[in-house]
Amino acid sequence: MGYIASQEQFDALFSKLKETYEIWAPKKFIGGGRFSNTDAVRYAVVTSPDEIEFSEKSDYSWKEAVFPPSETLFYFTENHTEETEGPAKKKLVFLRSCDLAAVKRTDQIYMKNGDPDYYYARRRGDMAFVMIGCRTSCRNGFCVSMGTNQSDNYDMSVDAEDGAFRIDCKRPEWDALLKAAGAKTADVVPRHVNENNVKVQIPENLSYKVGMSSMWDQYDSRCINCGRCNFVCPTCTCFTMQDVYYDANGKVGERRRVQASCMVDGYTDVAGGGSYRQKNGQRMRFKTLHKVLDFKERFGYQMCVGCGRCDDICPEYISFSNIINHLEEGMKEVADDER
Amino acid sequence: MSANQYIPFASKIEQVIRHTQTEYTFRMHFDGAREKVKPGQFFEISMPKYGEAPISVSGIGDDTIDFTIRRVGVVTNEVFERYEGDTLLIRGPYGNGFDFADYDGSELIVVAGGTGVSPVRGVIDHYAHHPEDVDGITAIVGFKSPDDILFRDDLKYWKDHIDFRMTVDSAKGKPGYREGFVTAVVPELTPKNFDNTKAIVVGPPPMMRFTIAGLIDLGVHEENIWLSQERKMCCGLGKCGHCKIGNTYVCLDGPVFPYLKSKTMVD
Amino acid sequence: MDINTKKLKKNAFRVTKNRYVTSSRVRVPGGYLKAEYLGKIQAIAEKYGNGHVNLTARQGFEIPGIPFEKIDEVNAALQDIIDGTGINQTGRERGEGYPASGTRNVSACVGNRVCPYACYDTTAFAQRIEKVIFPNDLHVKIVLTGCPNDCQKVRMGDIGIMGMTEPHLDPERCISCGACIKACRAKSVDALSKVRFRPERDTYKCIGCGVCVNACPNLAWTRSEKQYYRVTLLGRTGKKNPRMGVDFIKWADEDSIVQIIKNVYDYTAHYINPDSPDGKEHIGYIVDRTGTEEFLKWALKDVHLPDIAEVYTPLNWNGIEYAHNKYFGNQRYHADGTIVTDFSEK
Repeated sequence: MGYIASQEQFDALFSKLKETYEIWAPKKFIGGGRFSNTDAVRYAVVTSPDEIEFSEKSDYSWKEAVFPPSETLFYFTENHTEETEGPAKKKLVFLRSCDLAAVKRTDQIYMKNGDPDYYYARRRGDMAFVMIGCRTSCRNGFCVSMGTNQSDNYDMSVDAEDGAFRIDCKRPEWDALLKAAGAKTADVVPRHVNENNVKVQIPENLSYKVGMSSMWDQYDSRCINCGRCNFVCPTCTCFTMQDVYYDANGKVGERRRVQASCMVDGYTDVAGGGSYRQKNGQRMRFKTLHKVLDFKERFGYQMCVGCGRCDDICPEYISFSNIINHLEEGMKEVADDER
Repeated sequence: MSANQYIPFASKIEQVIRHTQTEYTFRMHFDGAREKVKPGQFFEISMPKYGEAPISVSGIGDDTIDFTIRRVGVVTNEVFERYEGDTLLIRGPYGNGFDFADYDGSELIVVAGGTGVSPVRGVIDHYAHHPEDVDGITAIVGFKSPDDILFRDDLKYWKDHIDFRMTVDSAKGKPGYREGFVTAVVPELTPKNFDNTKAIVVGPPPMMRFTIAGLIDLGVHEENIWLSQERKMCCGLGKCGHCKIGNTYVCLDGPVFPYLKSKTMVD
Repeated sequence: MDINTKKLKKNAFRVTKNRYVTSSRVRVPGGYLKAEYLGKIQAIAEKYGNGHVNLTARQGFEIPGIPFEKIDEVNAALQDIIDGTGINQTGRERGEGYPASGTRNVSACVGNRVCPYACYDTTAFAQRIEKVIFPNDLHVKIVLTGCPNDCQKVRMGDIGIMGMTEPHLDPERCISCGACIKACRAKSVDALSKVRFRPERDTYKCIGCGVCVNACPNLAWTRSEKQYYRVTLLGRTGKKNPRMGVDFIKWADEDSIVQIIKNVYDYTAHYINPDSPDGKEHIGYIVDRTGTEEFLKWALKDVHLPDIAEVYTPLNWNGIEYAHNKYFGNQRYHADGTIVTDFSEK
């Protein structure tokens, strides 16, 4: 049901939700940016509504709520292991429609590619989603092209506008909270954009052949394999295991997993010293085709949600949407190749 | 909620078999191995403090599994510090493994190089003990030198019971060895019926590439060739992404692949 | 023509080699100004000067070719620029131009308004310092630079200010990519090492340049809320003994630096040789006379450094001495190989 809530009414709803949920939302960290006197917007647990960044897109995605950059799996002594404790509270995540679409992608990998992942599942279970509407398109996003500009797959939507909150609620128990808070009912369709500055076209005939194209060569030198594009991506799910020990004799420690990037050195190293994809252009090709080809072959829909964060953050101004839009040319170049 | 797949379990080392200075087989206790594990599958050897390493199953007993391990890194070095009666933490089995139904009744050619013998050892051994299940089996194995030969007892049994050929890259002056690569042996094979000839190739990537080319030249049909891919399988569960090639997760869909699938996979 | 050159100089005009012709010196604290003032400088140069302008070494402007007769008109025309660049005019009426020229323009690199490496807003800090020190006749050079790259060459000034940040690691955001360690090794002082998959910072080695923060792809490294500075002392150019400024304080804060600057002016005013030519004496020579102890007593008066601050001791300078260089090669030869003889040694 739709509502218009005042600041006070929204605050009241928030306080009630906070009793049940650990609330994750994009939050502005003043001075928390990479460069001096710059800010960063990233996900964090928030304890009051004014901590929620409603206007700017977060630099880092929602995924940290369910798949932290570093997560301890278990503690060990020599031959004994002890699992870490699971989350005490259910989670509620404020996110935009692009990120909401990304939830389906990370679920696909963690819950449905092989058996459900134990640690992902225990954070993900009972997670509730509040969608923040978009009134205008962000600079680099191409959600319309990827079909992720709209979603009705939320528990509640919120548009913070002119000191009031336009809300579409799908949970009866939250309806009750809103009514108790005195919010007016209204017809509310969550804000969304129907056009972006950036549009992409993924060629129908895209195949792995495009890897033979010269289009990747420029990234051998342009890309610095820092992995920023992966770490901000709401659909990147890779990780690497680490064992660390605390004491001098190395008998007590923990095993953890940390987010990994297919752009960063070491990703494909195998025992004995071999590694695949040594050139940055090859890594770019691998990442690109995962986002717009092979995930779809395996699961039936595109992985990339078009949030544009990879473009926002690339220190070398490499545009992923620009790469997508060059795939057609790349395919033409290799059309006569036998492969 | 599903069980926690990341927590390894303890398995006792029942026997340590030394092949070379740097390659040992660890025979591990694993209840009901014969029903639960297939050749070509792998486990994660999961040593707290040292980390994990994917290791193929090189042999399957009633209640044992073998890991033939080469000492190449932090984890495997640590394994070599362990003795009979000690335990290793492991998790698995993972991957598809070889499916005997694919090869039953065929004229089977198995070509393996070096540690690539491990994943196919169970296949060769199975048909060496059940020759009636195939229309002949040829095993070609290659090692760097006589000092690098693995599974000597098995090789002897195979030599006596099936068409078995072995090469060494260099005999280092020792008599009685055929010097050269396994690829040189392939053209000498004379299968009766190529429509019923099947081949398995496992080894280092260049060896696999040249051997498969040789088999195709010989007349083996592409669709009748299988191979096993080694990648950085870090979780073994289809999650961590390290072993993904194209739309394929080696840990889930492999490591055994039909050649027709494998040749479309670009790293 | 009768003109008081002492007064002329203090009004920021120069006695030039061309008789009856002066040039006007325009202060631009931090070297950063609204572009509209360029138009006004152009107008003065074209109307009163020779149509040219010189970009000075310390980021001011010098408008040459102005006849002495036009000084009043030029001063009137300078008023907008003086206002727009925030220059104190204490002791002068509006329209009478600059009240001093001894204390040099506070120069600064472009800083964090533009540069990704800069650890603070060099322009704003330069402007704050300008408000504190100007007008003053003492010949003091204050230089600010955004980071330890020191593009502005602060070690050539009396007081050098180099931006620093204290990097903080959130281990939970570290994904062990190693970018910070590589960057610190390649671009800075190799203060990071990998311990248990994560960087460990050697705080003794660390110079607070922030390269680790810039390199980190995941914001595991962030900058300290407080901005810090390295202060260098008593570098100088000149004929006698040019030398680089030496480290004085690491991890100083802005307020302490402002107090130190005031103190250095007080010390200099107190101890300057009244007979020094044109009333100009580099502070370093005064310190040579009074001893460093005395100088430090003055410099650190009422200064409350943050806990993190580290003060260097003892302060030792070297530098160039043209005739008898204690520090560098002292033999000279002519192009034909003949040795240059030092007669004073005999």
